[in-house]
Amino acid sequence: MRKVLAMILAGGRVDELSVLTFYRPKSAVPFGGLYRVIDCALSNLRYSGIENVGILSQYRSYSLINHIARGAPWDMIGRSRGVTILPPFQGHKASDWYQGTADAVLQNLDFIDYHKPDLVMILSGDHIYKMDYRSMINYHLRKGADLTGAFTPVDLREAPRFGLARIAEEDRIGGELLLYREKPASPVSNWASMTIYLFKPEVLREVLEENARSSSHEFGRDIIPNMLGRYKVYGYRHQGYWNYSRRLEEFWQANMDTLGRRPKIVLKEWMLRTNLDHQAIRDRQPAVLGKKALIYNSSFYNGCRIEGRVENSVLFPGVQIAEGALVKDSVLFFDTVVEKGACLEKVISDVDVVIGAKASVGQKNGRHAIQGGITVIGRSAQIPAEITIGPGCTIYPDLRPEQFTSKEIPSGETVQ
Amino acid sequence: MIDTLVMLLAGGVGRRLNILVEARAKPAVPFGGIYRIIDFTLSNVMNSGIDNVAVLTQYKPLSLMEHIGTGVPWDFIGRGRGAQILPPRTGRKDSDWYKGTADAIRQNMDYINAHPAREVLLLSGDHIYYMNYRAMIEYHRQKKADLTIAVMTVPMDQMKNFGAAITDRNGRILEWEEKPKFPRANLASMGIYVFKTAYLLSILSKSQEHDFGKHIIPLAIRENSVYAYPFRGYWRDVGTLQAYWQANMDLLDPMSGLDPEGWEIRPNPEEASLIGDRPPTQILPAAKVVNSVISAGCVIAGRVEHSVLSPGVHVAKGATIKDSVVMHECQIMAGSQVEKAVLDKNVKIGKGVVIGIGSREVPNQEFPDQLFTGLTIIGKKSSIPANLRVGPNSIIYPGCSEKDFASEELLPGSVVRLLTP
Repeated sequence: MRKVLAMILAGGRVDELSVLTFYRPKSAVPFGGLYRVIDCALSNLRYSGIENVGILSQYRSYSLINHIARGAPWDMIGRSRGVTILPPFQGHKASDWYQGTADAVLQNLDFIDYHKPDLVMILSGDHIYKMDYRSMINYHLRKGADLTGAFTPVDLREAPRFGLARIAEEDRIGGELLLYREKPASPVSNWASMTIYLFKPEVLREVLEENARSSSHEFGRDIIPNMLGRYKVYGYRHQGYWNYSRRLEEFWQANMDTLGRRPKIVLKEWMLRTNLDHQAIRDRQPAVLGKKALIYNSSFYNGCRIEGRVENSVLFPGVQIAEGALVKDSVLFFDTVVEKGACLEKVISDVDVVIGAKASVGQKNGRHAIQGGITVIGRSAQIPAEITIGPGCTIYPDLRPEQFTSKEIPSGETVQ
Repeated sequence: MIDTLVMLLAGGVGRRLNILVEARAKPAVPFGGIYRIIDFTLSNVMNSGIDNVAVLTQYKPLSLMEHIGTGVPWDFIGRGRGAQILPPRTGRKDSDWYKGTADAIRQNMDYINAHPAREVLLLSGDHIYYMNYRAMIEYHRQKKADLTIAVMTVPMDQMKNFGAAITDRNGRILEWEEKPKFPRANLASMGIYVFKTAYLLSILSKSQEHDFGKHIIPLAIRENSVYAYPFRGYWRDVGTLQAYWQANMDLLDPMSGLDPEGWEIRPNPEEASLIGDRPPTQILPAAKVVNSVISAGCVIAGRVEHSVLSPGVHVAKGATIKDSVVMHECQIMAGSQVEKAVLDKNVKIGKGVVIGIGSREVPNQEFPDQLFTGLTIIGKKSSIPANLRVGPNSIIYPGCSEKDFASEELLPGSVVRLLTP
C-alpha cells in the first residue's frame, strides 16, 4: 500500500473574489450552500484513501484553521492519520513568509521527511471539482514518472489564464509532457494545469533545492518548465466538472451549477464532507418555511427561515428571508438576513449581512459588464432600508447603514 | 466527589407509540426532522453544565446506543466527561431484567457508589422540553430536601396520567396520588427527581419495590423531606401517536413555545450509514413547499404543505404531502397523496397512492385506544404499492410490500402485517 502524503496549497487570497477573501483565504470561501472550497480537495483525498495531509496556509488563516479543526470530518484522525496546518514560521535560517508555492513546500521538507511517504501529492485547495486521485497515482506509478501533473480541458478563450500543456497522445488517460507554458499570451493547447502534482519525494527535494537558489519560487512558472527534458514528466488527463472559481462570475456560476433538475454539480454524488461544527451548522434546527413562502429552483439548509420569495438561489444555513422579500439568482452565505420587502437580484452576500427593509440590490432585467453584473456584499455589512444599489457593486464588510451617504448607488460602484 | 450524577432511564417500551417503537426504544424515536426524543434530555444535561450522564437501556437499545455513540454530539468529551450506557446485566445475585424504574436504579447502586456525588438526578428520555437542571438542584439544596420532584401544572382532566403532588405553601409535598381518577390538585410529576445520594441509597435498600412513582415516592413523602420544584414552559410526553404527531406540528406554530434551536438542543447529524454530509435541500422548478419544516438533504419536486420532513426525503413531481411527519429517506412517488400520516424511515409511497382520505371516525380495528384521531401510521421500510388507497387510522407494519396487501383499498382502521415473517 503506497503511502501518499498530500500538501494542500491553501495560502492564497485571490484578489478577484473581492470582499469574499478579505478575511479568509480562497480555500475557506463558502460554497454550494453548506461547504468551503477546500472541502472538495479534502473529500477527494479522503475518498482516494489519502489520510495524511499538510495544509500550507498563509493569508488570514483563522477561518481555515477553525474549519479544519482536528480533521475528524474527513476521517483524517487517529494514530496513523492526520491533517496538519503548516503556517509560515520563524526558524534558524528560514524566517520569511512563504515566497511562493515551491518555497512553501521547501520550507516544510522536514514535515515530508517525518512522514517518509512513497509519493508526495501537491495540490491546490482552491478549486471546485470531484476526482478520484487513485487513477492518477496508478498512472504515475505505471509510467515510473518523476512527476505527473493533472490537466483538464478548458475553453480555448480562457486558456491564457492557466499553465498549459501539450501531452503526448499515448493513451486516453495521459502521456509524456511534451511542452508546458505558464499563462502564455497565445494558447499552446487547451489542456490546463489543475495544480495537482505527484512527485517522487527525492525528485521533489532535488528540484526544490535547486529552485531555492533562483529568485522565483512557483511550481507552475519555475519548477515544471525546468524539469522537462531532465526528468520523466507526465501529464494526466482529467475530464469532469472543474471550476477554477477565481473570478466572481465563475464562483457564482459554480454555486448555480448545484441547482436544478439536472445540475452540473450533483452534490449527492460528490458526497462532500464539511466541518459541521463550523458556524454551528450542526446545531441548527430544520428550515422553517412560512405560510407565504414561495421557493423556486433553489437550495437551502437547516437554520433557514423563509417567509418570502426565493428563485434560482443558494441559501446557506441560518439565512432569513422575511415576508414580501424577493431573492433571485443569488448566493447568500450563513445567517444573511433579508428584511421585509427587500429585493435582491444576482447578489453574493457574505456571512451575517443584513439587507434592510425594501432595499433593492442588484440588477433588474438585463446584464452588466462589471463583475458579470454581480453585486457582492462583504461580511456583516448592514444595507440600509429603502436604498437602491445597482448591479456590479462592491459593498465592503462591516458597513453600518449610516455610512451609506446616498440612497442610490449606481452600478459598478464600491462603497467602503 | 463530583457535583451531580445523572442517570437517564431510557429502558421503557413506550408501547402506545405502536410500530414507531417496533424496532427501537421510545427515546430513540426520530422527532422534529433531525432529532431523536432523547436529544432534548441529553442536551438539557449538557447545557446545565453537568458533564456526565449514565443512560439505562433495556428495550431494543441498538438505535439508541448507536445514536449516543461516544456522547460527542452533546459535547460529552474529554477526560472528565462522558455518556455511559448501563444495560441490564447479570452478576452474582442480580440477574434480572430491570423490573421498573426503582429496580433499574437499585441494580446500578454499584455505579452510584463508584461515582460519589452530592446528588443523583434521575431523568427519563421520553419528553420534549427545555430545563436548566442546575436551578432545580439549587432549589433542592436550598430547601435541604432529601428528594425534590419537578412538577408542572396540567389541566385537571389530564391528571389521571400523572403522579399528583399535594403541597404546602413552602413547596413541601404532603401527599401523593398516583394517576388519580378524581384529582385533588393539578400539580403533576414530570418524573424528574433530585435525590440526596445517601438518601437514595438508603431508601432503595430499605424498600424492594420496583417503581418510583407507585412505591418509593409515597414512602419518601411519609417519612422524609420531599419538595416540589415548579416547572413552567413547553413540555410534552410524546407517548401517544396523536401527541407525537401534534408535537411535531408544534414546530410549525410560532406560538407553541417549542424552540429546539433556541433551547440549544443538539442533534446527532453524523448517522453511521452516511458517507458524505447531507447536501442542502433542493427545491426543483415544479415544487410548491409551504408552511413546513424541511431538513437538509431532501429533493422536492412536488407539493409539501404543513408537514415536517426529515433528511433525505424525495417528493416527486405531482405528489402531495399534507399535515404529515415524514422520516428519513422516504420516497413519495408521482401522483401520490399523503395526508395526516406518520411515515417511519425508508418508506416508499408508490405512484398514485392515496393515504389518509376517508372517514376519520373509525378507530383502528386492533388498537382502537392507540389510533383513533385520523392519523395513518406506516412502518419502517414499507413499500406501498401503486394506486393503493389507505383509509385513516390505519397501521401498516414495517417491511410490508405489494404481496402483503390483499386489495387495492384499505378501509379506515385497517392493519397490514407481513404475510410471512
